[in-house]
Amino acid sequence: MNLLDFITSPDIAVRNRSLDAACLGLSLGELLNECQQLDAFRRRCDNLYDRVRCLFFLYAIHRFHLPTQLAGHESGHIPYGGYEYMLNRRYPEAIDVFLQKLQQDGPSVSLSSALGEAYHRLAFQTLADQVRRSVRTVRGNQWMFRTGHPADVPLRIRPELLTIDEHTNSFPILRERTAVRMDFTHSGWSDIFFLGMDYPEGAKVINASIDLAVRGRHQKPEPPIDCSLRVIDEPVLRLISIDLDAKVEIREINEVFDFARDYLGLIKGAVIAAGLIPPGMEGCGGRIADVFSRMIGPGLGLEITSRVNDIPKGSRLAVSTNLLGSLISMCMRATSQVTAMTGQLEESDRRIVAARAILGEWIGGSGGGWQDSGGVWPGIKLIQGCTAGPDDPEYGVSRGRLMPQHHVFTQQEISDETHRRLQDSLVLVHGGMAQNVGPILEMVTEKYLLRCEQEWAARQDAIGLLEQITASLKAGDIPGIGHATHRNFHEPLQAIIPWCSNVYTERLIQECQTKYGSQFYGFWMLGGMAGGGMGFIFDPAIRTEAQEWLQAMMLDVKRSMEASVPFAMDPVVYDFAINDNGTFAELRHDGGLPQGYHALMVPDWLRRGLQQLTPMLRSELERVGNACRDSVGGDNLASRLIQRILPSTSIETQQSARLEDLLRENGFDPIAHEQLREDLRSGRLGMSQNRLPASVTIEDVSDEDVIEARRDIPATAIELGRAAIANGEVGVISLAAGVGSRWTQGAGVVKALNPFCKMSGQWRSFLDIHFAKTRQVAAAYGISPLHVVSSGYLTDRPIRDAVEKLNALLPDSPRRDAIFRVSRGASIGLRMVPTLRDLQFTWEEVAQQVLDQQKEKVRISLRSALMNWARTAGEASDYTDNLASQCMHPVGHWYEVPNMLRNGMLRQMLSDRPQLKYLMLHNIDTLGANIDAGCLGLHIQSNADLSFEVISRRLEDRGGGLAKVDGRVRLVEGLAMPREEDEFQLSWYNSLTTWINIDRLLSVFGLDRAALSNQKAIAAAIRDLGRRIPTYITLKDVKKRWGHGQEDVFPISQFEKLWGDMTALSDVKCSFLVVPTLRGQQLKDPAQLDGWLRDGSAAYVESLCEW
Amino acid sequence: MRIRKAVITAAGDHHARLPLQTLVDRRGEIRTALRLMLDEVVESGIEEVAIIVRPGQQEPYLTAAGPHASRLVFFEQSHPRGYGDAILRARDFAAGEAFLHLVSDHLYLSRTGRLCAQQLVEAASKSECSVSAIQPTRENEVAFFGTVGGTPVAQSDNLYEVNMVIEKPTPTIAEQHLIVAGQRAGYYLCMFGMHVLTPTVLTLLQKSLDAAPASQNIDLSSSLNQLAQTERYLALEIDGSRYNISYKYGLLLAQLAFSLSGDDRDLILTELVNLLAAK
Repeated sequence: MNLLDFITSPDIAVRNRSLDAACLGLSLGELLNECQQLDAFRRRCDNLYDRVRCLFFLYAIHRFHLPTQLAGHESGHIPYGGYEYMLNRRYPEAIDVFLQKLQQDGPSVSLSSALGEAYHRLAFQTLADQVRRSVRTVRGNQWMFRTGHPADVPLRIRPELLTIDEHTNSFPILRERTAVRMDFTHSGWSDIFFLGMDYPEGAKVINASIDLAVRGRHQKPEPPIDCSLRVIDEPVLRLISIDLDAKVEIREINEVFDFARDYLGLIKGAVIAAGLIPPGMEGCGGRIADVFSRMIGPGLGLEITSRVNDIPKGSRLAVSTNLLGSLISMCMRATSQVTAMTGQLEESDRRIVAARAILGEWIGGSGGGWQDSGGVWPGIKLIQGCTAGPDDPEYGVSRGRLMPQHHVFTQQEISDETHRRLQDSLVLVHGGMAQNVGPILEMVTEKYLLRCEQEWAARQDAIGLLEQITASLKAGDIPGIGHATHRNFHEPLQAIIPWCSNVYTERLIQECQTKYGSQFYGFWMLGGMAGGGMGFIFDPAIRTEAQEWLQAMMLDVKRSMEASVPFAMDPVVYDFAINDNGTFAELRHDGGLPQGYHALMVPDWLRRGLQQLTPMLRSELERVGNACRDSVGGDNLASRLIQRILPSTSIETQQSARLEDLLRENGFDPIAHEQLREDLRSGRLGMSQNRLPASVTIEDVSDEDVIEARRDIPATAIELGRAAIANGEVGVISLAAGVGSRWTQGAGVVKALNPFCKMSGQWRSFLDIHFAKTRQVAAAYGISPLHVVSSGYLTDRPIRDAVEKLNALLPDSPRRDAIFRVSRGASIGLRMVPTLRDLQFTWEEVAQQVLDQQKEKVRISLRSALMNWARTAGEASDYTDNLASQCMHPVGHWYEVPNMLRNGMLRQMLSDRPQLKYLMLHNIDTLGANIDAGCLGLHIQSNADLSFEVISRRLEDRGGGLAKVDGRVRLVEGLAMPREEDEFQLSWYNSLTTWINIDRLLSVFGLDRAALSNQKAIAAAIRDLGRRIPTYITLKDVKKRWGHGQEDVFPISQFEKLWGDMTALSDVKCSFLVVPTLRGQQLKDPAQLDGWLRDGSAAYVESLCEW
Repeated sequence: MRIRKAVITAAGDHHARLPLQTLVDRRGEIRTALRLMLDEVVESGIEEVAIIVRPGQQEPYLTAAGPHASRLVFFEQSHPRGYGDAILRARDFAAGEAFLHLVSDHLYLSRTGRLCAQQLVEAASKSECSVSAIQPTRENEVAFFGTVGGTPVAQSDNLYEVNMVIEKPTPTIAEQHLIVAGQRAGYYLCMFGMHVLTPTVLTLLQKSLDAAPASQNIDLSSSLNQLAQTERYLALEIDGSRYNISYKYGLLLAQLAFSLSGDDRDLILTELVNLLAAK
């Protein structure tokens, strides 16, 4: 049987067979032959899902199965033309280019990495295109794409909204209040659109609509989403988000489509998806007044307000989708697109609102699952995928429909008593983490389509658990629900995606179990992953006490972990109640707007002056004045208004003082900083100046320029290495001064300490793993290498604590002599607002990945907003508008070795162990790097000052490599490449792992062992050598947190000197060792984790460790 | 089924004077809008016409009817409760017979030798059921009309079996419920302002009126929707055009349409060109 049968066989058992299992027994030739057949099939296949599955098969074979068969064929060249096609999302063409190269040069790991990635992206693009088509073709949505001009506007505002109230002299207000959804189970993320459309039988979710109150902040649970709409006497679209403190008056249609310009993108998405300004009008260039004069009447406009009741981001309660649903429902009610103007919606109307919410998410460039608009429905419901019928647009394209079916459980099925008991048992919390669920959803889709054995069995198990939860709900068995949700999290969900859990959540569960034993019924994961919104089910007898306890305990645990786990906020505990209305509207004539409206708007009206206000605004201002004077209801409003209008002591001033102290304490050089600013402003330094001159020749190195260390290392070299290790001549430097902003997307935690995977049954951080490797060497050789971790201003304290804890754990162990030390950084920089020139260079001149159509629009809009920000904030001015620690930056890993000279660490090491001769320096994310006798022996034999380890290049290994630059073999940073395509000629990628001969390095600095006690000589030596090392300007994404878990990401300028540039110095003798990919690859992004686990990398690393 | 009676509703807020407006017909003769309508009705074989008017409006209508005045019977709608209520006033006049119904603010222009009303009456007589005249209408206009959903009748290119009627739907609702096979995307079958109605419709209207609170008006579309669930009900795509003279420039457009399809076509075209050139 060939692999194609797994896709096309009429027998479901064959179709559900695992690809991985089938590939295990195949040879290289057989795998390549299967690839050929699969590729031919995907080109001729009409069936969307067969095609997508075929693409995933091809991806998996190239990513996981071919590389293991390609020993000796690791290195190959990836054609730049194919890469360019990929950047432009032209994946079919990219695949053709890569396949042609495969025909010419034969297979290689490099080419397979490119092909795997191209197939993977084409598969997701095909799926996304299909969802987009389905969203557009849902009946009730299609007309909006045909309406392209204000004269075509078919909607009219309901006459009830146009009756001016005599008392308030304003139009009535349509208020919509909506619940959020809490899912009992999603049967293994089965609400992902692709899954529901391919496997409708397995797509099942139970969720409940709930009201919320944050304990200590609100009195009782209420629908968390509160929106309003009213006609205004100005022909504008006024959008207001009270919780985001943002408002805008839109006059041009195109501005509605500018999503990232302000914080009102979601409301704009709702306005578009509700058809007020239909998507077909994008780019028509008309005026809002022209649309509204037809829809509402000449001279009139609309005001739409949203307020989310202090629910932090990452609540896993689908707040944004339900907010979108609420806004859409309100706008559709106002224009007669749904039957009821007030009260609950009818079932058919809820369905069209949910379809529009999906459309709105797509328009806004985001996306969730199909259960997410569950808050629009009342009570507890079962949501299931549906097989597409002849009347559905999906018929003949996919097995399932885009839109699922909702069954709201009746009171007979799930009693009110059960609702009450559930409320008395469940403690709902926000743990404080706000992670991106996107990578998890991609992993789920991929594993489902590949039918990975473990995943498939777990999926069936999860579907069985849904039945169990349903039965428990019907029987009112709350402990039963707790046990089921607990097992769901610990078994099927983690079997499918281990990364849905984390060390923080597991610690909380453990604390609950220890404290309450059998009175703790179970844990409940909400949404896509744990750490944010979560549930803990307790015996009702202790639930209130447990709520109090959880609040304090979560905060303690968070405090103990906040250096290593990315928290967005302090944890909170909610009170909740099941909402039996779903989304609910009322027409108010009393001028009642969502709370906080006037506090936000009135200061602006006062600034404009009474003469500039419309008659209705003037009346409203009078009413606000009356309310402020009213002693009963006005106090609160008056106080809030005063808070907004009058200045108070600025937090920024205190912040700025703290920043200055920190800069002083951490070796900030203000003179060099001013010089840097001058250079940036004048254009002497900048992103484009990072590049080597265009006249430089960049060539690939030849085999003679590198030393083979992947296999066949001579026994003499291994013996040499072993002897050096056994003699205590080797030490390790782990570079951990930076925070690893890509790992946590600028969250500012210490990447080295982030417990990211489980090994030997426990969560382990990068540092744990590096120490464990040193321990294994110590155990093997009877002497522990000295192990230094370099730290920076952000990472020093937490790393020092971690190292102390680690040493304290092994007081009497024979391995105690594995001495872990910390070398504190002695240099720091202050970040700067980027120059427009650098932003333009990065975004317009450097080739980059084009995004999906809608996301690209959002990105363009965001970039334009960021350019404005840089212009307003002042190019190359100091970046101080954030936490002090986020304003400073480490100055690049070149400084780490000089720091060890400066802070006396190297002197101390040599004093403790005078025989120390060699150091292995490595990046914190190079998990496979260990003290390998063969590599060390080769370094010693090479007689080089420095030996750098390189690996064969794969597509994802971007950022420079080993090159012959004008005839000299050296490492070139990606930033320095004169032309981007040059990098693709290079066979070897720099892992940065470096073997250092200590004495020779000291002589490069012009020092020797004796001079290490002469600080003056050291400072002069570092300065002199530093001048010869290039300075790079880079842009880093820095998060700024505000509100309740909200985050903005800004590109910020900083400078760096990089260690690899030591190879450019003519007086430094370097050699280059080609090491296996498993040893040299780096883990930069959490999205790599699943592949890292599946391709054997994790197992390889674990084999190097001793716990 | 023989249709010999017609009911014209003219009791709406803005209808009082519309039928009395004058236009020049296709032959170049000056006629009131009511006269044009009555010409169409009578030429289609109708013998008696009931007009529902507001109290005190009979005289001007009799004058405007010209030679057809003798066929007219008037019913006054003194406490108006909507369009459906207006039709119900002619219940006694219909006396159990099917009847042709028109609205007084529409004028019709056929594209064939057979008048619009004639096409409808013939179809109803042949099918022996209620038939509504319809016209494919673009989605941005459906919010102004009653709209039908249904399926084409086999062996016919202009008849539809109606299964749903919705009054002034939004395109969102129309797209979900009123798509008819064979229509262009974004086009729906909207009422033409002309129907042949069986007595069942009057029964359904009466039921609606009885069930509705005293303050609530009743429309025709809801009863037609019930009719579609009760008995055979067809829609006929008329080969002609309707002109709503109650719209802004409605009368002007109707006049242009009549003139450009009649004896004075060249004259009007010349005048239009002159106007354009002068501008």
